Amino acid sequence: MNRFNLFALILFFIPGMVMFGQTSSDNPFSQSKFIPDISFILDVSYLHRNLDNDEIKLVETPGLILSSSKETTHGQANTDMNSLSGFNFNYAELSVSSTVDPYFDLIGIFHLSAEGFDVEEGYFMTRNLPLGFQIKGGKFLSGIGRINEQHAHYWDFANMPLVYKTFFGPEGLNEVGAQINWITPTDFYLLIGGEVLKGDNENSFGTDGYQDAARNIKIKSSKAPNLYTGFIRTSIDVGNVTTLAGVSGAFGKSRLNNEFDSNNPDGHAIYANTRIWNANLTMKFIFESYRDVTLQFEYLNRITDGDLYIKDSTLNSQKEKIKKDQSGLYAQIVYKFNKNWRTGLRYDLLSNNDITRDDNILNLSNGLPQFSSMIEYNPTEFSRIRLEYSYDRTKYLEEERKVNNEILLQVNLTIGAHGAHSF
Amino acid sequence: MKKIFLILLVILLDSVHAKELNVVVTYPYIKSIVAEIGGDKASVFSLANGEFDPHTIIPKPSFIAKLRNADLLIINGAQLEIGWLPQLLKQANNPKIQVGSGGLLDLSKHVDLIDVPSSVSRAQGDIHPDGNPHFYLDFNNIPKIAEAVSKKLSEIDPQNKSFFEKNGLDFLDKYNHKLKEWTERLKPLKGVRIIEYHRLYDYMIKRIGIELVSTIEPLPGIPPTSKHIESLEKILASSEVKMIWQDVYHSKDAAEFLSKKYYIRMIILPHDVEAVKGVNDIFSLFDEIVGRLTND
Repeated sequence: MNRFNLFALILFFIPGMVMFGQTSSDNPFSQSKFIPDISFILDVSYLHRNLDNDEIKLVETPGLILSSSKETTHGQANTDMNSLSGFNFNYAELSVSSTVDPYFDLIGIFHLSAEGFDVEEGYFMTRNLPLGFQIKGGKFLSGIGRINEQHAHYWDFANMPLVYKTFFGPEGLNEVGAQINWITPTDFYLLIGGEVLKGDNENSFGTDGYQDAARNIKIKSSKAPNLYTGFIRTSIDVGNVTTLAGVSGAFGKSRLNNEFDSNNPDGHAIYANTRIWNANLTMKFIFESYRDVTLQFEYLNRITDGDLYIKDSTLNSQKEKIKKDQSGLYAQIVYKFNKNWRTGLRYDLLSNNDITRDDNILNLSNGLPQFSSMIEYNPTEFSRIRLEYSYDRTKYLEEERKVNNEILLQVNLTIGAHGAHSF
Repeated sequence: MKKIFLILLVILLDSVHAKELNVVVTYPYIKSIVAEIGGDKASVFSLANGEFDPHTIIPKPSFIAKLRNADLLIINGAQLEIGWLPQLLKQANNPKIQVGSGGLLDLSKHVDLIDVPSSVSRAQGDIHPDGNPHFYLDFNNIPKIAEAVSKKLSEIDPQNKSFFEKNGLDFLDKYNHKLKEWTERLKPLKGVRIIEYHRLYDYMIKRIGIELVSTIEPLPGIPPTSKHIESLEKILASSEVKMIWQDVYHSKDAAEFLSKKYYIRMIILPHDVEAVKGVNDIFSLFDEIVGRLTND
């Protein structure tokens, strides 16, 4: 079923359910009481930056982030939020969830954007496994890291931390597969989890094989699950301070094809093992009901080790050894100073960017920072208006740094069921 | 041989049911009631801290560990926990206390809720579709809650049924005595006109026959605007209002301003056990409320 059929189906479905609701007293077969929790979230922004809309499509972070124009030619949908100067329609999110039966819960989260209709998440969760176990299956945001599982409207800043966007793309590590997690029977919180995933995240992993035009080199597509993750989280409360810490890792195969199978002389491809490590720490200092300070820190390291396929002057394929050792971090502080207002600062850093090709170390820029600050007004928990400024030194155009200053005003609104907040 | 086996079995069974019942509750007032009835056969942990706004408790991960190990979860209900508990419950991986299982007790189902809206829209602020959830601040509702708790504890741990029932009756004896005293002491407040910050004490207000003139927040969950304060000033200037009831967790600025300007007594009332110093159980909670209202 293509995206638009699915979209049409959903649109057809909702008024149908509402109609059922209206006639429930007359209809002996009415099932209106079983309508799942439905919510609709809208996120729009107005943005102003010093780079113009043509430049912003061309800038990249060498060795780390392709320009958005290149991504588009590689067939990757550009779903990045707040991407252009002027008005941005970031997303309209429709979510549906309910209990299936005594054994399962089912959750569906759909993104409607100008590009189409996306199943952001669609997964089940077990309800009654014994001994503190839970299994999740379907398409979902992986449990690695601190914020990967969080949807955009839970973020403390308008944009995803740079290191996440770099390693996983604008949607994070969102995969098809299964997860098992276990809450240990301890007096303190300890969660141990693992996932088996398809592993087709276009920034770090990849399942699709490829071959060169002359068919000398052939990399098969992945047969089995291509990505495995593991994570541990623990938390303690000391006085009015709650600390949450976690470590996690993702291990998979990278099959990244950048026009290697075409006649483009610059076309190249990678077939490698990639492992990503994450460590994170969150500390919340709770003063009163509506006043607290939260410090949050995450570090990610990615090592890709394998083969790089390129073309020589006669378009013959060449194989080299490639090793990438890249890392990044962010540290942020958010102060909620009354029921309606919060303000925060975030420091992003792409700290390490070492790429070795056949023992030749590439001289790529590293230590690239971005600074963001925000202030937000939440009239109620269903609405948010956020003003954010960011100063970005990570973007390059033909080896020349393009410093980007941007200011944005974001509005985020929710109707319908409102999910309880996580920590 | 048979005898030894039987003795071993008895010891084994005994050790199993000697293990105390692990009860997790959402608010300290529930903890106090469970402690009275459960005695040493139940250990109780309250997730929320009594000083905080009961609607917006920060969902600490440590709560997940408590919920994971619970045999019984007792909630206030009527959607008071909607903003913080459902997600924790999903993450706790504990089938015993999920919605629809025997290990979840919703206290709001055991009392008559007031102010049930006939239609709901969030234009009315943070309203509760099931009615006002602060029913426990009417001391007349506590016996119903205690009965529900006693029944549920007996259901979960039938071995100790008589123990819980006896504790329940003892508690009611002690409580009903105090109930008479509180009712008597509050009688003079009948017909008095008051303003409260949030619709926290509506059950008690209705019971005693106090007249609620307005609230400091214009709509539930919405902090006062200058326009709303102006409208309150008009009321205060034109008619007699005796008291402003203020809770511990909302800003006191508006209440203090009105109190000074119009010479009206502002009374800070605890809304839960542990909300103010000296309030350590359900008895001292109402002792304190009645004491502060009657000023003795």
